[in-house]
Amino acid sequence: MSILKGIVGGILGYLLGAALVTSIRAATGAEPWDFEVATMGAYLPTVVGWLLGVGVWEYWARPWFGREAKPYTTVGWRRYFNFDTDHKVIGIQYLVSFLFLFFLAGLFAMVMRWELMNPGRDILTPSSYNGFMSLHGTMMVFVAVAAIVGAFGNYIVPIMIGADDMAFPKLNALSYWLVPVVVAFLTASFLVGGYDTGWTGYAPLSVTTRTGALFFNLAFLTLGLSSIVGAINFLTTVHKMRAPGMTWSRLPIFVWSIYVTSWLSLIFTQFIALAMLMVVFARTLGMAFFEAAAGGDPLLYQNVFWFYSHPAVYIMILPAFGVTLEILSHFSRKPLFAYKWAVGGMIGIAAMSAFVWAHHMFTSGMPDVLLKPFLASTELISIPTGLIMLSALGTIWQGRLRLHVPMLFALGVVFNFLFGGITGVFLADAPLDIQLHDTYFVVAHFHYVILGGGIFGLFAAVYYWFPKMTGRMMNETLGKVHFWWMIIGFNFTFMPMFWIGMNGMNRRISDYVPNLGGTNRMISLAGFFLGMSFVIFLWNYIYSWWRGADAPSNPWGATTLEWMTSSPPPLENFDVIPEVVGGPYTYGDKSAKHAILEPRL
Amino acid sequence: MGAERSDNRVDLIIVAVLWVALTGAGLWWATVTNLHPIGASSNAVISDEAFDLLLYLSMPVTTFVVVVLGYSVLRFRVSLDETEDAAPVRSNRLFIAMWVLITVGLSVYVIFNPGFTGLDALAADKNAEMTIEVTASQWRWDYRYVEENIEFLDADGLVLPVDTRILFKITSQDVIHSFWVPAFRVKKDAVPGLITEVYMTTTKLGDFAQDDGFRNQCAELCGTGHTRMRTTVTVLTRVDFIAWVDAQRNAEVSG
Repeated sequence: MSILKGIVGGILGYLLGAALVTSIRAATGAEPWDFEVATMGAYLPTVVGWLLGVGVWEYWARPWFGREAKPYTTVGWRRYFNFDTDHKVIGIQYLVSFLFLFFLAGLFAMVMRWELMNPGRDILTPSSYNGFMSLHGTMMVFVAVAAIVGAFGNYIVPIMIGADDMAFPKLNALSYWLVPVVVAFLTASFLVGGYDTGWTGYAPLSVTTRTGALFFNLAFLTLGLSSIVGAINFLTTVHKMRAPGMTWSRLPIFVWSIYVTSWLSLIFTQFIALAMLMVVFARTLGMAFFEAAAGGDPLLYQNVFWFYSHPAVYIMILPAFGVTLEILSHFSRKPLFAYKWAVGGMIGIAAMSAFVWAHHMFTSGMPDVLLKPFLASTELISIPTGLIMLSALGTIWQGRLRLHVPMLFALGVVFNFLFGGITGVFLADAPLDIQLHDTYFVVAHFHYVILGGGIFGLFAAVYYWFPKMTGRMMNETLGKVHFWWMIIGFNFTFMPMFWIGMNGMNRRISDYVPNLGGTNRMISLAGFFLGMSFVIFLWNYIYSWWRGADAPSNPWGATTLEWMTSSPPPLENFDVIPEVVGGPYTYGDKSAKHAILEPRL
Repeated sequence: MGAERSDNRVDLIIVAVLWVALTGAGLWWATVTNLHPIGASSNAVISDEAFDLLLYLSMPVTTFVVVVLGYSVLRFRVSLDETEDAAPVRSNRLFIAMWVLITVGLSVYVIFNPGFTGLDALAADKNAEMTIEVTASQWRWDYRYVEENIEFLDADGLVLPVDTRILFKITSQDVIHSFWVPAFRVKKDAVPGLITEVYMTTTKLGDFAQDDGFRNQCAELCGTGHTRMRTTVTVLTRVDFIAWVDAQRNAEVSG
């Protein structure tokens, strides 16, 4: 119901905005109707109309006008389709939405691999290939940026720190309900014929190409808004809502990862908004930011874009590091090794991420004097990243490893990320990057980082916290089949891409020189194999949610706070406010305690 | 506690042996396998040497992580219903110190070699015998030989003399493209309103029919025709090149 009201609100907003812009154009003597200009003008009214309709008005804004806010009366599964401020509802909304996007974008990858299976043209025109490739990249980037943070940041972080909810529950709901707007804009771009700029949307191409690019820009802008709102919320929550005794050095590492990530989102996301807005205004208002002949600079876009988008890589991977280290400790039954070094590594990565963006531009024609500084800063970022590896290896060494499914995925992150990280050292080397830039070597590198690290981390988190979120256990055997199937498929798909990239396969092409055919076919077949592994997951996920065995409050015997309350936790999470009395990983020390949950007088 | 320590020593020895063995095998593989496609310019040597050096340096790092990971999983796993904890080792100063020293040392080293040395080598010689203006547009390449004063619009191929220092001056008329010849390890974006420059020396004869690394392929996504935006590249002997230039001039006159 509320979704329907939101859609009506959005449509009314669009009509209002478009009418306003069109009448202004008519008044100034311009051709009144222009689809892109009208859409640009209607962007804000559309978003506001949707948000008001979907629940902001009923639950939030009515008191501003002297009325009573409506009480939250929705119960049961309908809550998930409603504007609900419970962080646990929002976490599940994020998880399901982004898993859906992940599988959809994965299907697009299957279509691309089908086209690339043979040299020559198979099923797609070059133009539709570009469309699928661009949507695949964009949607996967959105998934990587928001899935772990949105789903587990929301659901788990407040419980882990002993809070009853996020600091700003209504803002939290707002940041989720912007996500359907993102999906709507991506769908709109598809309906008007897609866009062919890739997820990087480089100007001037993005200014001159088809209308779909406008919707891509608006989608990214909206996701950015959602990220910033979410980041403010996480930062405030971690600062202000920690249970008594939860000092900074007692924070579970996953909380640290979300905290550091939130700083990155808060500081850098506005730059992507700027990049997107500049393109929108260049398209609709003719502002010549990137047009050399009119005094603009084509490289301006790349600088602003990467000033966000390189830190964004760490927004994607840091939460996965947090999940991984968290799980490694619990399933090795050993305290996290070198906790302070791991936290320092995360902070170091975040701090240095601001100084490496131009390594995406070594061949762009930027001034030569900048090559050395950016080469150096990029190589140096492997030092804090190495600290995460140090902590991971030190934790499993001489542990007592119980290879449950979440543990398998966490170990998978360490293995896959190793190759993603090491090849990053190669790409940072500017003299070598000249050859490797924009080839499949880069494609392999970032899939090792983002799929092999980030998405394996996402699945580790899904398997780990599923019992807590749903009150049910996932099937262990199916989970193991999924893990082995996925990691084998993944490595066979992406390892050969390093080689094929070195040997002349460049990115974002629908056809290639014939002698790369054999390897491409092998990659495609491995890719289909990888794709099929998710069928197992989906079956396990859906069936377990529906009929899985009941989960106890602490199925893994883990020590952090979310396992000290029921599965799923009650509204406001704990019956009594926990009192934290020690570090989060109390393994091997019978006398140590993380928290006390006793009714106090 | 004493028993655990001696266990640890055995584990460390086994890991060390596996590490050395796997590193040796990896380095052997890296030296006997040629991972590179044909290289036909001075820049290709710099690029390939950088790759090889990084491959050698990264080998012990990679094998260390793989060995520790694999050994730990096999050696320290217990059955799923075990609930006993491991000994609470939270830190090990020696291991952390070694790790930090080595990662800092390696990171700083690769900045200078192959990083800065490679960049300096690429920029060392700015005396070109020949200048070619490369102009990209959606979706074609134009080449103009400045000294020879011949021009090819929407060209099929780029013809060059061997053992010659060449300066490419690259620009674009619309969106960003990228001039990339895989066999030369040369890649430079074609940016509207900007002239980007690449120096390189041709070192080998060759053509596209013989090896497809001899092609100029657009490497920056530029729209629908991006995939097809490529021309062949041919490297001739200097004598053949002069004859080829004459033939082009005659063709122009008679045409």
